[in-house]
Amino acid sequence: MGQQIQFALSQSAHRVLLKVASFLPGIVALMLAVILLTLIGAAVSAILRRVLSALKFDERIAQNQNPALASGIQGWSSTNSPTVLVARVAFWVCVLLGFVIGIAAFDASYSSSAQVSIYLLPYLSHATGAAILLLAGNLIARFLARSVLIGAVNAKLTYARFLSLGVKWLVLVLTGAMVLDHLEIGGTIIELAFGIFFGGIILTLSLAVGLGSRDLVSRSLEKTPAVPAVEPAPLIPTAQRVGDNLRHF
Amino acid sequence: MTMTTSTSETEAVHSSTRSAAPLIVLTAPFGQEAQGSLDETLAHLESAWPGESILVATAGDVTSTQPSASTFGPRLVTYAQPRVSAAAPLLTAANFIMAAELVKELNTPTCLMLGAEAQTVTPEVLRAFANALSQEAVDLALPCYHLGSRDGLVNTAMLYPLTRALYGASPRFPLATDLGLSARNLQRLALSARKFIHADQEDALLWPVAEAAAANFSIVEVDAPGRILTQPAAPDLNALLSHVLGSLFADIEARAAHWQRTRIAKPQTPVFLHPSTEPEHDAASLVSAFQLAYYNLQEIWAIVLPPTSLLGLKRLAQLSPADFVMPDSLWARIVYDFILAYHMRIINRGHLLGALTPLYLAWVVSHFNITAKQSSPMAHREAVAVAFEADKSYLVSRWRSPDRFNP
Repeated sequence: MGQQIQFALSQSAHRVLLKVASFLPGIVALMLAVILLTLIGAAVSAILRRVLSALKFDERIAQNQNPALASGIQGWSSTNSPTVLVARVAFWVCVLLGFVIGIAAFDASYSSSAQVSIYLLPYLSHATGAAILLLAGNLIARFLARSVLIGAVNAKLTYARFLSLGVKWLVLVLTGAMVLDHLEIGGTIIELAFGIFFGGIILTLSLAVGLGSRDLVSRSLEKTPAVPAVEPAPLIPTAQRVGDNLRHF
Repeated sequence: MTMTTSTSETEAVHSSTRSAAPLIVLTAPFGQEAQGSLDETLAHLESAWPGESILVATAGDVTSTQPSASTFGPRLVTYAQPRVSAAAPLLTAANFIMAAELVKELNTPTCLMLGAEAQTVTPEVLRAFANALSQEAVDLALPCYHLGSRDGLVNTAMLYPLTRALYGASPRFPLATDLGLSARNLQRLALSARKFIHADQEDALLWPVAEAAAANFSIVEVDAPGRILTQPAAPDLNALLSHVLGSLFADIEARAAHWQRTRIAKPQTPVFLHPSTEPEHDAASLVSAFQLAYYNLQEIWAIVLPPTSLLGLKRLAQLSPADFVMPDSLWARIVYDFILAYHMRIINRGHLLGALTPLYLAWVVSHFNITAKQSSPMAHREAVAVAFEADKSYLVSRWRSPDRFNP
């Protein structure tokens, strides 16, 4: 009995060690590929920055850009200049390429029957998609939260921050659910939890805003006259528009 | 854009080119209900140039009820009305294109664009515009309106001081609705306007003073008392401010090479501002709106403004409405920091301009308090402009080295 247990243990340990021994070169190859391609990416990024700066890439883009589109396209652009954007894209493409090469090397180090890359490569693409979703969701959440905050403050709403936070979390929850769904984690639990959570936030916001703005809405309904729109818009003399009795222009 | 002229009108054009009367372009539409205003405007034009042929371009299909017994007097030319902008009556790219086409078609050397409520422009003012354009041969004549102390607040807060500090040009109303233009200046403005028109941005604003300053054109100011100005039709102050200031900041960004070299303008002769007959404004509500903004927008302001400005805003938020006074130096620094943030794209530009609105309204309260207690509206307007001039070196330094110089 004891000998059988000892034999089983030694056999299993032997098998595990064999697996690890065959697994390690693949892991090392994967890490090497990622590190190497990351370094290459950093170098390419630095070179691109220098070259584009020398070519005055940002200035050329700004010159070629239609001034009328400035408020639209540039308004959406991040803090990065076009040069930095190109450099960063080059860097991350290299990193991604490193992962793909690493996984292929990992697959090659295995026995021909293992076919690890058949499972890992699609998952890697899913993980990349999920990371992009997460990034985009965060950016959109921040953008919308700021838009709502500024709009609400300018409308003199005392619950501006609450509204802004509500919108931010709505988008973040939606993003989280999408990311988990993309990674195929959680299955129906995620859908159910998301539905409950999202609905809860909407209900809370509706109640808060509805109760808070009850007087405002009733006043606005009382004041709104049923007058059809007239084109072109009339020019109203003096201070009857844009804020009480202030004449801004 | 089309216009219609008859043969007799074309003959009148050639006679008008010899006279002192410029081509008059009425930029605001005159509907049937405004027939009286049109007739009054034409009467003023006739008084300004008695016995002379005057060519008047107006939007849409309008007719004058005034008798035209001779070939002298105002003659109407109609043109297709551009799309009405939310920022109307401010002059847009479409207005400049139309005026330039009219000037080219009718071969007139000068043009006088008159905005809404043109009937309130007196014959003397019209004559002064024409004299400036024909006798002094200036390229840009702007009116100096006599407004109340509570009028033209955006102009006093930002447009005038920025134009004066950056371009060294000191017309008091850079975004005036009435303009006297030489043909070459108008063609230059139309060239800029076409870029916007091609992008279907007919309602984009142009900045004639900056354009003229960049081209080294001569600019003169014409005293225009009694002019009644209409407020823009847009009901949302935030949207309107974003439209106007976004356009101004973009123009400043585009002309950085010019204004960094420009010297400070010569001091202007003062123009009297009428004391306001309006009831006292509810400063308490504006101050509470600023306090609300201060507690909610700090994180956004902190991205744009340096700590010294934030400290100044913190002190402001603690003041009572009666004591609410924003130092002119603080206001100038805030505006410059917003221009820099716009240029460097620190945050989304729509957010940036939206975050400036509460600060502007805080300046408005401060302006009312200062003009009520400490100094006259005219003195405060000049003080603000001087503060902008004094701080211009900060803008130039940070524009050139944004990371190195940030106190």
